[in-house]
Amino acid sequence: MADINFTKKSLLRPHTSTLPGSVKPVESKTGATKLVIGATYSYGQNVSLTSSDGLSYLQSQPSQLTSRREPSPNPPGITFSSDINDDISDKDSSKSQEKEVEDEPVINSDPSTLIEKSSIGLKPDIALLIKDPMKTIDSMKLSNSTVKQLNETQRLRLERCLNKFKDVLQSANIDLDALRNLSWLGIPNELPSELRSITWQLLLEYLPCNADRQVKTLAQKRQEYFESVSKAYAKGIADRTIWHQIHIDVPRTNPGTVLYQCETTQQCLERILYVWAIRHPASGYVQGINDLVTPFFQVFLSFYIDENPENYDTSYLPKNVLDVIEADSFWCLSKLLDGIQDNYTFAQVGIQRQINKLKDLINRINAPLAAHLQKEGVEYLQFAFRWMNCLLMREMPLKHIIRMWDTYLAERLDGFSVFHLYVCVAFLDKWSDYLKSRDFQEIMIFLQSLPTETAKWKEQDIELLLSEAYRLKSLYHEAPNHLSRV
Amino acid sequence: MSSNYTYDYIIKYIIIGDTGVGKSCLLLQFTDRRFQPAHDLTIGVEFGARFVDVEGKKIKLQIWDTAGQESFRSITRSYYRGAAGALLVYDITRRETFDHLLIWLEDARQHSNSNTTIMLIGNKSDLESKRAVSYAEGEAFAQQHGLFFMETSAKTADNVEESFVDTAKDIYEKIKQGVFDVSNESNGIKVGGHLQSKNVLPLTTDNGNNCC
Repeated sequence: MADINFTKKSLLRPHTSTLPGSVKPVESKTGATKLVIGATYSYGQNVSLTSSDGLSYLQSQPSQLTSRREPSPNPPGITFSSDINDDISDKDSSKSQEKEVEDEPVINSDPSTLIEKSSIGLKPDIALLIKDPMKTIDSMKLSNSTVKQLNETQRLRLERCLNKFKDVLQSANIDLDALRNLSWLGIPNELPSELRSITWQLLLEYLPCNADRQVKTLAQKRQEYFESVSKAYAKGIADRTIWHQIHIDVPRTNPGTVLYQCETTQQCLERILYVWAIRHPASGYVQGINDLVTPFFQVFLSFYIDENPENYDTSYLPKNVLDVIEADSFWCLSKLLDGIQDNYTFAQVGIQRQINKLKDLINRINAPLAAHLQKEGVEYLQFAFRWMNCLLMREMPLKHIIRMWDTYLAERLDGFSVFHLYVCVAFLDKWSDYLKSRDFQEIMIFLQSLPTETAKWKEQDIELLLSEAYRLKSLYHEAPNHLSRV
Repeated sequence: MSSNYTYDYIIKYIIIGDTGVGKSCLLLQFTDRRFQPAHDLTIGVEFGARFVDVEGKKIKLQIWDTAGQESFRSITRSYYRGAAGALLVYDITRRETFDHLLIWLEDARQHSNSNTTIMLIGNKSDLESKRAVSYAEGEAFAQQHGLFFMETSAKTADNVEESFVDTAKDIYEKIKQGVFDVSNESNGIKVGGHLQSKNVLPLTTDNGNNCC
């Protein structure tokens, strides 16, 4: 696989994105007609959606709105089989919009933003991986490149860990409690990437524990999602407000990362969020949910590729792979949100309750900090709202969030509510010494951009945070008066 | 910028308006003098601060930048009360963001202090070719509702400084005239300790209180 540098120009294209509701039949190489939902259009273009004739619209000719996505960036030196991008290759006649888009100036051509591009990097036996992910378990082992970087003790430790996972996962009826115990401690990044994907799907009870039901259930759920997508877009866009919000938020999701700036990923995220929103009218789409889908998308992508998913341009993925990543991400996001739905319904009462509890707990465990914040006029809502709304995803690099979710998911259903609250308590408490010596403005600015970026925060910091949260939860949860001042 | 730097006044602002009109970009341009096209979307509220100089007075602006999405409205409303200045922003390239101004204005009038200075801002003035709201329309709306008005570009920085500073000038004028009860911080104004102790309000510019 050739690693090739190329500039941001080809990746961070001037903004174009999918307009759901535009559905066009595409001739595939085999001659079969597939439906492609979505079309590119330039940002700010005035689009009217008037079609309302349901399914017949699906079979209609491409409308004048429908222009094809730009060809994938195709740096010299990378060759890939021509059928990979067949469904989305550029052979449409209406190219005027793209021309205009391509001619726009590049916003950022700073050479320091050169991005290393992944090659295709697909794992072998893709068809089997899609159909029956559990088939990967038996052959899981540490990769040769990983082993080379380890000393004997590390290798033995990781092998022991992998074998424990395998023991649990090879059972015909998986013991979820045993899996929770393993996952709580974190799934080491050195282990095969399939392991986390499978574990998360099992812990969310998306993938059934019973071996006999796994293949069938996955196929059904994925089919159900594809049908939901078709249905959601069949009559054009029912909810313009929600769609527009998602449409402008998706390109603002992880703006610095190749995976989330490539158009194919953005189209997937847009469909996932829109379908979720219209299936959940009580909350609809709330900003921040766009962040919550990304750990799933990234972890499930890494099931199929041998590359660092953050640097991966998903336009290199075969469509059937992309489809199942999208469907699985949708369902797992749905499961997560089921547990914290009142964070996003009217007035966001779930978040307000969490913030009140955070304040109460800080009063109990760190009275001097609580007093200082009060003296400076800092309200918890001012900084902790985002902590709850985005589950600390704005405060930590994504790789740390993924590690935290190993534990959150192992905490049963309340990992993202109760346990998360205690993580926030431990997190705020951690900065106590600094905060106590600062004034209102310094506190606000500090809490808004905490020094948690990858360089400063290590995996061990996350482990400490999680174990402190565990300790606090054991002490205070279900003990509302413990150490409280009467 | 250290916040220990002595100030004469702290004035609190709130920035409101539809989603995607450029509220956070205006704030970033004002506080950091830079433009970030792919800005993280704002969740709830975000905070920014900068000093400005009005008639020789050191005024610290503390600014709450609010999320535009409807879902956050019940959270963001609680920030109106403590604001002496409000920047109400629309996007000159998106008509609907202008059409929603009345809703925003009603919300602001209902939840904020009656003395709050409101500046209407038509942002993205660099995108002249995509303009959907004329300057005259913006101006007429502002006149009709007693607001200040400016078109800005957070991208080129055009008028950004002016929009924040002119708002501060008007508020300072009101302070001098005794319109605000500056002893009550919930009106969005805090008087520097050295001015408070002299207990001489309103102040003129030449009473020698510039300690730095």
